[in-house]
Amino acid sequence: MKSMANSNLAGLQPGSQQSKMARKMLLVKKYMPFYFMFLPALIIYVLFHYLPLWGIRIAFYEYGIFGIKYFKGLENFYELFASESFWRAFINTLLISGTNLVLGMFCSVVLSLLLNEVKNGPFKKLTQTIVYLPHFLSWVVVASIFTMILSPQTGVVNSIIKSFGGEPIYFLAKEEWWRPIFLMIYRWKETGWGTIIFLAALSAADPELYEAAWIDGASRLKQVWYITLPTIRTTILVVFIMNLSSIFNMFESVFVMQNPLVYKVSDVIQTYTYRTGLVQADFDYATAVGLFNSVLSFTLVIIANKLSKIIQGESIL
Amino acid sequence: MYDKFSFAKGYRARAIFVICNTIFLILLCIAMLVPILKVLSDSFDAAGNYELRFFPRVATLDAYKLILSTESLFRPFMISVFTTVVGTLLALTISSMAAYVLTQKEMPGRNFFTYAILITMIFHGGMIPTYLVIKSLGLLNTLWAVILPMTCNTYNLILLKNFFSTIPQGIVESAEIDGCTPMMIYTKMVLPLSKAGLAAIGLFYAVAYWNTFFNFIIYINNPDLHNFQVRLRELILTDDFLQRGTFTIYPQTVQNACIIVSIIPVMILYPFLQKHFVKGVNLGAIKG
Repeated sequence: MKSMANSNLAGLQPGSQQSKMARKMLLVKKYMPFYFMFLPALIIYVLFHYLPLWGIRIAFYEYGIFGIKYFKGLENFYELFASESFWRAFINTLLISGTNLVLGMFCSVVLSLLLNEVKNGPFKKLTQTIVYLPHFLSWVVVASIFTMILSPQTGVVNSIIKSFGGEPIYFLAKEEWWRPIFLMIYRWKETGWGTIIFLAALSAADPELYEAAWIDGASRLKQVWYITLPTIRTTILVVFIMNLSSIFNMFESVFVMQNPLVYKVSDVIQTYTYRTGLVQADFDYATAVGLFNSVLSFTLVIIANKLSKIIQGESIL
Repeated sequence: MYDKFSFAKGYRARAIFVICNTIFLILLCIAMLVPILKVLSDSFDAAGNYELRFFPRVATLDAYKLILSTESLFRPFMISVFTTVVGTLLALTISSMAAYVLTQKEMPGRNFFTYAILITMIFHGGMIPTYLVIKSLGLLNTLWAVILPMTCNTYNLILLKNFFSTIPQGIVESAEIDGCTPMMIYTKMVLPLSKAGLAAIGLFYAVAYWNTFFNFIIYINNPDLHNFQVRLRELILTDDFLQRGTFTIYPQTVQNACIIVSIIPVMILYPFLQKHFVKGVNLGAIKG
């Protein structure tokens, strides 16, 4: 409220408590139409974001068909920590999401370095257009495409295996195949998109540095190592931190590609929440699982924010 | 000089790298496109046993005709169109009004509102509490359960707010002096000046609505209200419709055609999307 010394409020004595209040009232009156313009959004936020926060309390209650029955404290959490399927989901989340994070960062950085070396404008643009494309397809569509392609009966991959005399493999229903296939599909969809932010950072590199390095006889590889990578080091760290903070948010991608045959290797916390909560209708227990997940995510975001402050002197929030 | 393409001594290693890099990127592009093109080709293939073909042996449009003439396939498509159009319009209206309000620097409570919406980005109630709220609002099994919660996307709202902030304050002030009400300024001046930004955010919302899948799964039991994404998944997994039916075409051809149908709208928007999305990502830092 620094800019309060507004011309139309000049009649009031500055400083006194009373005039401050009066000023505020005048401003509120002036901005009345704006409050009405904000109202629809406010209602949406209250209904779909803030009311659910209040609903979290059922994690500590027994919840029946007619609503809350009685308080049962931390019982759901004891049950949770004793549950084998919960820990399985927890470890799967860390494994799948963690591998995906590291693999994704690596592929995107390498691809953006390679794209950055392309000096032919139209070719670079075309390549970018093609590699960004799968990002805009929904996970359902992506899963459908690969279900068709990997199908043991008519899929093209198994046709190739059969033409070499091999046995068809049902990739998405085999425990040993599910994770590698999932990670590959994930890379297919998101690697290109992940390069955008690095390409933007790369374009900030000073061309004179490269000229100078070239004149001094530095090889290309050395230039990449000593000039290019340091330029995007902060970006790599920030992207890594931000991705790290959303490590527990893996859901739709897994949900559309898993099936009961591979729950053991594919179940993550969110799919577990969905099954216990909405399929088995164990609302209070599933809310406890969700709360556990939210608290972990929240903690990671806060830590990520602190780290970002240390690294780039600026918070990401 | 420095980037010369030549096989002379001193430039050779670079030239070889450029060639390898180009070949690698071309192969990568092929790897990106092959899955989509294979599905596209198979959706026209009447022979059924596709194997390694990349062109249909016997071309047919029957699968697409079937989608258009079968109620249980065409209805989900129309539901998708409906939720996308209504949702996008509603979302644009609500978010742009809110975003404009958040640019009013003097407005008491502006910071409070800004933080109130930013907090939702880092902590949320989770699947079950949200489901129970929607249930108690009586929205279960209505399309509103899918449309309404998505009308305010905090990320889009902040992008819009940043966009509105670039409008020169002088124009708005002079209109104020001329006696325009805030609503008039908003509809007559701010919106027309922000067409590009609104188009971009509109595209973001449209893709999000078109690709909605999970909200339909949780909030809507009635298969008559499911959208094309949900129908597509049913069709791919296990489907009575394809097993039971006595069609002249192979079920896989119908499945492939359905995948293509759900991709087409995104493909049409893609040229515009790419430009705007890239800008959006690079706008990056979200600040209140």
